[in-house]
Amino acid sequence: MLKYLAKRILYVLPVAFGVSLFCFLLVHIAPGDPLTSVLPPDASQAMQDELRKIYGFDRPLPVQFGLWLLKALQGDLGTSIATGRPVAAEVWRAVGNTLLIAGLATVIGFVFGCFFGFVAGYFRGSFLDKFASMLAVLGVSVPHYWLGMVMVIVFSVQLGWLPPGGAGPGGSAAWKWDWEHVSYMILPAITMSVIPMGIIARTVRALVADILNQEFVPALRAKGLMDFGVFRHVVKNAAPTALAVMGLQLGYLLGGSILIETVFSWPGTGFLLGNAIFQRDLPLLQGTILVLAMFFVGLNVLVDILQGLLDPRVRRR
Amino acid sequence: MSAIAQGKAAVIVPPLAKSPGYWSGVWRRFKTDKVAVCAGLVVLAIILMAIFADYIAPADPTRSSMLRRLRPIGTPGYPLGADELGRDMLSRLIHGARLSLFMGVVPVFIAFIIGSVIGVAAGFFGGKFNTITMRTVDVFYAFPSVLLAIALSGALGAGITNSLLSLTIVFIPPIARIAESVTTQVRSMDYVEAARASGANAITIIRVHVLGNVLGPIFVYATSLISVSMILASGLSFLGLGTKPPTPEWGLMLNTLRTAIYVQPWVAALPGAAIFITSISFNLLSDGLRSAMDVKG
Amino acid sequence: MAHDKVDATHHQTHPDRGGAGTPLLQAKTLTKHFPLGGGAVVRAVDGVDFAVMKGETLGVVGESGCGKSTTARVVMQLIPQDKGEMLFDGEIVGGQALTLKEYRRQAQMVFQDSYASLNPRLTVEDSIAFGPTVHGVSKANAILKARDLLERVGLDPARFAARYPHELSGGQRQRVNIARALALGPRLVILDEAVSALDKSVEAQVLNLLADLREEFGLTYIFISHDLNVVRFISDRVMVMYLGEVVEIGPVEELYGDPRHPYTRALLSAMPSMDPDNRTMEAPLAGDPPNPINPPEGCRFHPRCPQAQTVCAKVKPVLATVGEGARQVACHMQVPGSGHSHAPALEVAA
Repeated sequence: MLKYLAKRILYVLPVAFGVSLFCFLLVHIAPGDPLTSVLPPDASQAMQDELRKIYGFDRPLPVQFGLWLLKALQGDLGTSIATGRPVAAEVWRAVGNTLLIAGLATVIGFVFGCFFGFVAGYFRGSFLDKFASMLAVLGVSVPHYWLGMVMVIVFSVQLGWLPPGGAGPGGSAAWKWDWEHVSYMILPAITMSVIPMGIIARTVRALVADILNQEFVPALRAKGLMDFGVFRHVVKNAAPTALAVMGLQLGYLLGGSILIETVFSWPGTGFLLGNAIFQRDLPLLQGTILVLAMFFVGLNVLVDILQGLLDPRVRRR
Repeated sequence: MSAIAQGKAAVIVPPLAKSPGYWSGVWRRFKTDKVAVCAGLVVLAIILMAIFADYIAPADPTRSSMLRRLRPIGTPGYPLGADELGRDMLSRLIHGARLSLFMGVVPVFIAFIIGSVIGVAAGFFGGKFNTITMRTVDVFYAFPSVLLAIALSGALGAGITNSLLSLTIVFIPPIARIAESVTTQVRSMDYVEAARASGANAITIIRVHVLGNVLGPIFVYATSLISVSMILASGLSFLGLGTKPPTPEWGLMLNTLRTAIYVQPWVAALPGAAIFITSISFNLLSDGLRSAMDVKG
Repeated sequence: MAHDKVDATHHQTHPDRGGAGTPLLQAKTLTKHFPLGGGAVVRAVDGVDFAVMKGETLGVVGESGCGKSTTARVVMQLIPQDKGEMLFDGEIVGGQALTLKEYRRQAQMVFQDSYASLNPRLTVEDSIAFGPTVHGVSKANAILKARDLLERVGLDPARFAARYPHELSGGQRQRVNIARALALGPRLVILDEAVSALDKSVEAQVLNLLADLREEFGLTYIFISHDLNVVRFISDRVMVMYLGEVVEIGPVEELYGDPRHPYTRALLSAMPSMDPDNRTMEAPLAGDPPNPINPPEGCRFHPRCPQAQTVCAKVKPVLATVGEGARQVACHMQVPGSGHSHAPALEVAA
């Protein structure tokens, strides 16, 4: 197990390094001098030269990367151009908000996905099965930001049941766990849950069908175990994979929430990114993407390790 | 060599009745898949609509009218209503198919070519080259595709070319990975060994024996990315990173109509419905192709 | 030396240099090790020496994992050897006089899995024609040759040439594979378990076909199989391999009639006999199954050998000529003065 752990961590280090390099280069693939993004439009030549020195843009790229990485490791992601505040602080606050709805969305998606997947796998070929697989196709085909708009149209504009956007009275700073605030989470979370729901349903369906085809199931039935016993076995065998898929989906949602957050004006990382893009705030863009990608990488490793703990077969791969 | 040269002119190979090949089997299986055939017809209709938009559209998609802003569906002269600048929605949707389809298909197509070259080379030659390529691919896998597309587009700035570029970069790693894995499988087959034993060089073996067996699965996978590409592209436009107004494009239309959801909600939702229909048709078509071509996984 | 380029539609492609009765292929201390993780090494082929004479069929037998197939792949140069060299008609394979590409016109291989060894996307004639086109034959000529070869392996070209592999039976596919191997006009054909996957009746037909083709084209075969009956039927000489090494080589009837190495004896006694009065009484193979990762010291067979003695665990026996014939055995019991009690007495020098 220790060997497996070490192997996983050794494997992820180069990936994390590559991700950092990519994020570093983002600012440099941007058209024009990277300095223009931090300069006031009327900057004098002297000011430009000085700023170039301060930001280190006069040094060779590898040196710049090394310095940038060193600072990033210490939690310093630079300063936002638009707000003048440290990028790290902005990102952390936003990540919290995103985790909130992404987490809720994952739970909703997991519960319903497992339900549909289980029903479809248990009654293979039935109407329910076809319905569930149709749902899975719908889930991956629908533009989620549009689904969000339709949700707003139906539940806010037409029915008036739920608020159309924002994070409640006083914004996220005044967040409280009461209905007045939680109601703002519901529409974005449901919209977002459609993504993992389809994928989890498909995974669970395949798992259940696979397990029911295995020899031990008729054996269990032959031993006189009731259907509940069979059900328990299916759950025990399918749970590790289903949980792994769920973990990965949470990672996807963290990164993929951008468009949905924009639709609902939810003050998370997506919203932050939207602002960064709109104001061409490259340090903010870079910092947000670095944090999100690292979250995703870390989550991947965590899922792998958990799977290794639950299922010894995984370790040998 | 002289004997061959002499032979060349005189040789006539009597043609034989070819036995029904792989592709006719694929077509036979595909034909029986009703869902896939329907999806294929819808895709075909949308493609034709995009090509002949100038002839089909009842009005000029950019002609605005301050008097007829945000008309509901069914307004005389505006069968699908009018947008926030009084432009005919039906005409804009028809014209919008062009860019949306373009942005769905072209990045995937370019990525299909580049990713296949990278993946097939990595899979066939193996060794260090494979390790380096696949580790690089892993780095890109650390980004959810939406995030990667937005990061690249955000850094490159708005515009169709930049969206095209960033979407292409987004799709190269997954295609390269699939290409690598199917090529690795094919490379270990005895017919590739037999081809090596006949003295053929790597390029010839790849051309004759590898490509024919790997391009199918890679292609099927690539078709499943078309809908992702369309959704991402219109998503980029929706964030203001894609096309610029007044070009009709479904994602951008959705963006500019966002504020209209309180006035004409169903008109505002139309461009998204168009994206949805196209994307689901591509997905069902891709699923049909997958089972007709008997691609596993 | 320059090779004359001859139209490959004719079969006598390559001039015989050494003359009849000389070895077509000589393998000298061929070695192939596969490193595993953690320092372990699979000694798949470990210093194998043998020769194949022109026009003969050399059978190669041994349990699975003994290195038969790896030997075949090294001989075909599908995997490079770590050590050792091969001489083909006197020239070093892969050397200046006989480049690898040129060697591949002269040596070909038929694989065990008839389906996996045909490209599913190519018609039968295209598969056969591929090799010649690689060597500069025009496509039209190559196709004509392919159809001609199909006829010779017993498949009517009008019916089979344009078919795809999945439309053929296993036996038909293996005939196609044989035709494909012959398309380059080779002198040496390596048959790696080429009939093992076939039904018994089909196997017999294909074996007869192979014997006929050998006459017709003057071929030399290396015939690898785990089936001792089949090897006896087709081979002139037989080579027995154990854990990556050659333990015995000899003319087929001599070796089957009087096996000298204890392993050969065990192998032959395990062979099912057709004659109920001739049932074996000898003990079958005992002991651990062979593991090429950590082969034992000394004679590799000694842990399973009923006649093993101290010397066998310490000293590795070398392949040495025994008697006056072409018999070679690697066993201490055959070498005078080896220290084994069953060894023949040393002849006192006059």
